[in-house]
Amino acid sequence: MSHTAIATSMPIATPRLPRITLRAFEPWLYLAPALAVLIVWTYVPLLEAFELSFYQWNMLPRSQPRYVGFDNYLNLLNLPDMQQAVINTVLYTVGLLPLSVGVPLVVALLTAQLTGPARNLYRGLIFVPMIVAPIVAAIVWRWLLNEDHGLANQWLRSFGFDTIGFLRDPDVALWTLVWITGWKLIGFSTLLFAAADSAINPSYIEAARMDGATSWQIVRDIRVPLLSPTILLLSLMTVLFGAQWSFVYINALTGGGPLRSTTNVYYLMWEYGFKTMSAGWSTAAGMLVFLVFGLVALVCLALMKKLAVYDD
Amino acid sequence: MTTSPNTRRFAAHLVMIGLSALAIFPVYWMVQTSFRPESEVFSTALWPATPTLENYRRVIEVMPIFGILWNTVLMAAATTAAQVVTGLLAAWALVRWRFPGGRLAHSLIALSWLVPFQVVMIPNYVLATRLGLLDTIAGLVVPNAAAAFAVLVLYNAMRGFPREVVEAARMDGAGSLRTLIEVVIPNLRAPIASVSILCFISAWNEYFWPLLLIRKIENSVVQIGLQFFMSQEGNDWGLLMAAATLASLPILLIYLVLQRQVVESFMKSGIR
Repeated sequence: MSHTAIATSMPIATPRLPRITLRAFEPWLYLAPALAVLIVWTYVPLLEAFELSFYQWNMLPRSQPRYVGFDNYLNLLNLPDMQQAVINTVLYTVGLLPLSVGVPLVVALLTAQLTGPARNLYRGLIFVPMIVAPIVAAIVWRWLLNEDHGLANQWLRSFGFDTIGFLRDPDVALWTLVWITGWKLIGFSTLLFAAADSAINPSYIEAARMDGATSWQIVRDIRVPLLSPTILLLSLMTVLFGAQWSFVYINALTGGGPLRSTTNVYYLMWEYGFKTMSAGWSTAAGMLVFLVFGLVALVCLALMKKLAVYDD
Repeated sequence: MTTSPNTRRFAAHLVMIGLSALAIFPVYWMVQTSFRPESEVFSTALWPATPTLENYRRVIEVMPIFGILWNTVLMAAATTAAQVVTGLLAAWALVRWRFPGGRLAHSLIALSWLVPFQVVMIPNYVLATRLGLLDTIAGLVVPNAAAAFAVLVLYNAMRGFPREVVEAARMDGAGSLRTLIEVVIPNLRAPIASVSILCFISAWNEYFWPLLLIRKIENSVVQIGLQFFMSQEGNDWGLLMAAATLASLPILLIYLVLQRQVVESFMKSGIR
């Protein structure tokens, strides 16, 4: 705190006043480009979306938006489509957690003692899905899981099983999309856990071992608690963004079907906005989503502060 | 209860081999399918018996793939440059001065990642249309010219920069911009490189905004090109895999060369 702002530490009532105001202005000059972009393309649109959510508008340049009050919200809340989409959004999130948090945590704990070139090779390989473009992942998995000729179903057939309509069966399609979304994340999460695990002070584990703790006890009582900030961070990310990450796969692979079984709230907004051209419904849904996820974010952050164990 | 260290190391290798295979196999399958002649596409053999470049020749024929790749390079490079520059400037303002409104600016930037793009897409689309940005590369860059994570990562990097050096520069009469350019930036090469890598990869992989903005295939970027392609040539797998391989090649090459930096930059700045 020793370097307070020059602007406020300057004597004020002097003839150099114009220069002082200029100086007070200086940080804003640096902030201007970034803030301008965020205000013009994020915050103002957020307010405009809020406003639009009270109107009926088909987005055609010549048509006038018509004020409808809370109708969009009331209609949405009573719509079976919306209810289904909300349920699906929860399913995406819950389905993703084992892939983005559970499996990576277990793998990181099991493989912590690996060292040397083998470990580097594994790290290099498991990270690859993270940098593969989502649409490329969609195309590749669409091919692997193709009903007639995809490798997965050819293997199933050769072992005498029935083929699975991974993207065509309403009971399966959502989980297929969860899997593709999770496939991109497993390696990345594993590396995050491995990094956090290797940062644990080895003297704790040594001390526990001296006291006769088994390796399971060490995992349960020392390593997992000290990994809790990473566990919570990844869970928070998954809860907040999981349904958004799935959007590409819904749009590219199922179009929300079959029988709307893969539509989540983000896809619903997209459909209302750019397929049926009802800006009011789309933005009203957007406001509800923003509100709910905002609350979830606050709760999660509070939980993180409370639950995380820090080594300090 | 006690398993020998060797058994455990063996198990660890097994787990990692399994996970590596899971991660890499789909990518491998894409590449090898792209080299298969039409007669072999449905074979389950692990590699093509008679590899061919035929699929690549056809991709070039049916789709202006090089133009699209060039658009994508332009878009990703411009987005990266813009995000790094706006990020450096904003981070410098927040580190160099303590001023009224500074915390507000900081939280406005940090909280922007909480706003899902789908919530603001309609106003954004309307604005882009009004500004004549529809179907242009500039339209892909401008709304993404600043990124919260770039500001925040550079802010954290600058905060670790020794105060005394900055002070010394000021004593020498250097203005704040000269201090930033001549003193701070040269010493922040590693974080700047790391942010650039991340910006470039995420711009390259960007899907949603181009999907809204781009109409004509010759103006499109590679992700949208692939999407068009998939809906047109749906089950021509050799062709699709060749296009997908071409689209991934630049990123995979970057990864091959800069693997450690790529992994580290992702781990430092979280998932987005």
